[in-house]
Amino acid sequence: MSDDATSFEARLTEARATGERLKQAIAEVIVGQDAVVEQVLWAMIAGGHVLLEGAPGLGKTLLVRTLASCLDLRFSRIQFTPDLMPSDVTGANVLVMDASGGSTGRFELHRGPIFGQLVLADEINRATPKTQSALLEAMQEHAVTIAGTRHVLEEPFFVLATENPIEMEGTYPLPEAQLDRFLLKVLVPNPSEDELTQIVARTTGHAAAPPTAVLRRAEVLALRELCRDVAVAEPVLRYAARLVGASVPESTSAPELVRRALRFGAGVRGAQSLVLAGKAMALFEGRAHVAFADIARVAPAVLRHRLIRSFEGEADGVTTDQVIEALLAAVPTRPEPVEAALRAS
Amino acid sequence: MTSPPRVESLHPLFERWARRVRRRLALRRVLTGLAWGLAAGGGAAVAAWYLRHGALRPWAALFGVAGALFGLAVALRRRWSDAEVALYLDARLGADEVISTALALEAAPGPSANAEAAIAARAARALGEGDPSRARPRVLARAHGVAPLAGALVAAMSLLPLPPSPPAPPPPPGAERVKLERLAGLDAIIALERLATKTDAERERLKQIAEDAKRLRAGLREGMEQREAQAEIARLRDEIAAERLDLGDQKNRAGLEAAVGALAKNDALKDAAKALGDGDLVDFDQEMQKLANLAEREAREQAKQALEEAEKAARERGAGDVASSLAEQREAFAQREARAEALRELARGLEGHLSEQARRDLEEFGETGSPEAQKRLAESLEQALEGLSPEERKRLAERLQKQMEGEGGAAPSPLTREQIEALARKLADPKGQQELADQMKELARQAPSAGAERQQGLDEAERGGAEAQQGLGATPMPMPGETGGGAPGEKPAPSGNPGGDPSKHPPGGPGSHHDTGRGDHSGSTGEVAGGQLRAKASARVNPGAPLHGATLGRAPGRAGETANQAGTGALGTVGPTELDGVERNQVPEEYREQVGRYFQP
Repeated sequence: MSDDATSFEARLTEARATGERLKQAIAEVIVGQDAVVEQVLWAMIAGGHVLLEGAPGLGKTLLVRTLASCLDLRFSRIQFTPDLMPSDVTGANVLVMDASGGSTGRFELHRGPIFGQLVLADEINRATPKTQSALLEAMQEHAVTIAGTRHVLEEPFFVLATENPIEMEGTYPLPEAQLDRFLLKVLVPNPSEDELTQIVARTTGHAAAPPTAVLRRAEVLALRELCRDVAVAEPVLRYAARLVGASVPESTSAPELVRRALRFGAGVRGAQSLVLAGKAMALFEGRAHVAFADIARVAPAVLRHRLIRSFEGEADGVTTDQVIEALLAAVPTRPEPVEAALRAS
Repeated sequence: MTSPPRVESLHPLFERWARRVRRRLALRRVLTGLAWGLAAGGGAAVAAWYLRHGALRPWAALFGVAGALFGLAVALRRRWSDAEVALYLDARLGADEVISTALALEAAPGPSANAEAAIAARAARALGEGDPSRARPRVLARAHGVAPLAGALVAAMSLLPLPPSPPAPPPPPGAERVKLERLAGLDAIIALERLATKTDAERERLKQIAEDAKRLRAGLREGMEQREAQAEIARLRDEIAAERLDLGDQKNRAGLEAAVGALAKNDALKDAAKALGDGDLVDFDQEMQKLANLAEREAREQAKQALEEAEKAARERGAGDVASSLAEQREAFAQREARAEALRELARGLEGHLSEQARRDLEEFGETGSPEAQKRLAESLEQALEGLSPEERKRLAERLQKQMEGEGGAAPSPLTREQIEALARKLADPKGQQELADQMKELARQAPSAGAERQQGLDEAERGGAEAQQGLGATPMPMPGETGGGAPGEKPAPSGNPGGDPSKHPPGGPGSHHDTGRGDHSGSTGEVAGGQLRAKASARVNPGAPLHGATLGRAPGRAGETANQAGTGALGTVGPTELDGVERNQVPEEYREQVGRYFQP
């Protein structure tokens, strides 16, 4: 094995170990939710944003806070309400007063919470679309424009938005185009009995000390670079493309459930997100290449908010996860002759 | 710290694995081809056994070889690419697509050389540490089990005795060969070459028929297919029938109808008119002979007059053949009249020596003109002459002389003045008596006209043809102008009612309340007595020529008859409800008059 290979293997091993350390640190605060934590870490390494959906009280905010502590990143939180203004998110130029209370004639930028590195957009669907779009612009561009001046946000910039699916009154559901900006939509499940017992035990005593930082900013950026080095073979890329293509109801390769229950399928961002998330997952598993299984594993989190159900699908109670399951079952990973030979073997 | 195990370079390692995989895949395809080929071969062997092609059965194994070759061709054509092999190996070795990624990066390097090196190293390690037995594509399939079974089937079919042959199908009717030294009836056809004819063309035609009959006779002597001989004789009969019907053809038909109409005006000539209308010149000739024999001069003159008018009418309508036949008949009428007069004259000379029977014959001859009475009278006269004494003969000669002088030679006589003088001289010696007896026989002999003779010859040929057909085992088809149900040579029955009395079957239309038709309307069809009828499936029919009458079974057309005539006609019995049927049918107005005129009697 060459020296290059050896050093790259060492970096991969280190990345894997880092991931394990992070998970372990978070697990000291968060009980259960391993899959949620793992998916959030994929998004962070891949450079994407996460939409967390779950009932109130499941620890979404705590998870983000804990992650911020572990990563030693600047954390900020925005509680979205209907009267929240875009400038409340981005910040504004304010007139500077002198000591006597008079005007100095000079404006100074008051940065909003968006200038954090790890931003928690709590209950994002409660804000008006105008305010939502201010956040979403920053998510896409990694920059904000205030009074005509563009301000680049400091990397890593990572947004975790939360959504409450049970209180829909007075909310502004995110438009499909804006949902597409999130790399993953992670469902936060209810804890099991054991987990709940543990949560109650932990939270009803003295407050625990916040976790120590496991990863510095530079290390996060290095991991992101390493993630981009992860290779993807053409058959794997084709598999991702086939999955996305089959999610379009008009496609000839679309399964029957897709045709019946979907109005719109995933687009180009969906395919890109599949591969990026797959790379992050491969990296956390210490691999420099993406496997078919990686794509299949990240597919639900990547695609569930990109598939728009039809009226019929909604009426029948078909969930996007069911559709994704049907897609994974219907789309072959390998070319047919290879699949046939594997079946025969 | 231990150094990682040394791994081989990826590419040669992958090539080794790929060869193994591809070889087994190709073998699988070859075996599949062999199995299906042998299955087809088994089917072919069964078919060869069933069809009794015994020698072909072992060759059915070649289907297996062909199938294997086909499988090999398919294997080469669908040979897996490196990417496909890599995907297969990834799946079988659980390498998480590292081999595929490494090969892809070899072909198209990525942004990180370090990552490529690490991936290649991992792929090489996966191949190097992989268990070859896990990555072997399966060679045998369930379908391959067909191969030994099919091979066994081919072998069994090759060894199995062939099934017995089915009985050979019977030869087609008439295919058997006949060899006849002499076929009765053919001579009558051959005799047509000697028949007196009106024109050279007709002579050539009859000669050709005779030649064909000779050729058939020669063929039968050497042996030929029965159906071929039957077809040939049927053709000859058809040609003879065409010759017999020439007076009724399209050219002569109008003239014939006019002539028949002219003759029918005279009551005494009604039978003659009918015979002429039927185209029966023999019958017509006999009728005219009877008229010529009549003693009453006026009746004879009327008959001659009618003949002249008929000839004129036929000629005016362009029926040259009919006119010439009537002219010939008119000339013969005069000669016959003279003969009859001569006979009566001689009878008057021998009046005192005639027996009672001879007197009655003389009387009957004069009244009816019967040829039988003529014959009997001539015999009686011959006997009376033999019984004369020399003196009486002399007196008879003198009386004949005086009679001749008294009439001034104006009376029609078959004997000239010089002949009667010579006869009177000869009456005295025995040689002269013999000459006179011969003369009597000549007077008694029927002298048919040339047309009647021709017709008679054709009738004979036709009967000969029917006889020859019977001799060849065929049922002769009644031909136009022939008898309806009687034996050949008999008088024809009234048309449309063969062999029966038309008065017993009044006309009527089938299906109507007034149906008086003769058909059996009970709803069942009786068995057709046609045991000897055979279809001439492979008869040599000239595609350019129409089928002959024996095949078509056409009915004779008769002058003056139409389908709409009450009574009998060419199309059979017409019922009263069918008369004026045009008026009651949905014939378009503009065609009604034309169609009605066509069917008008």
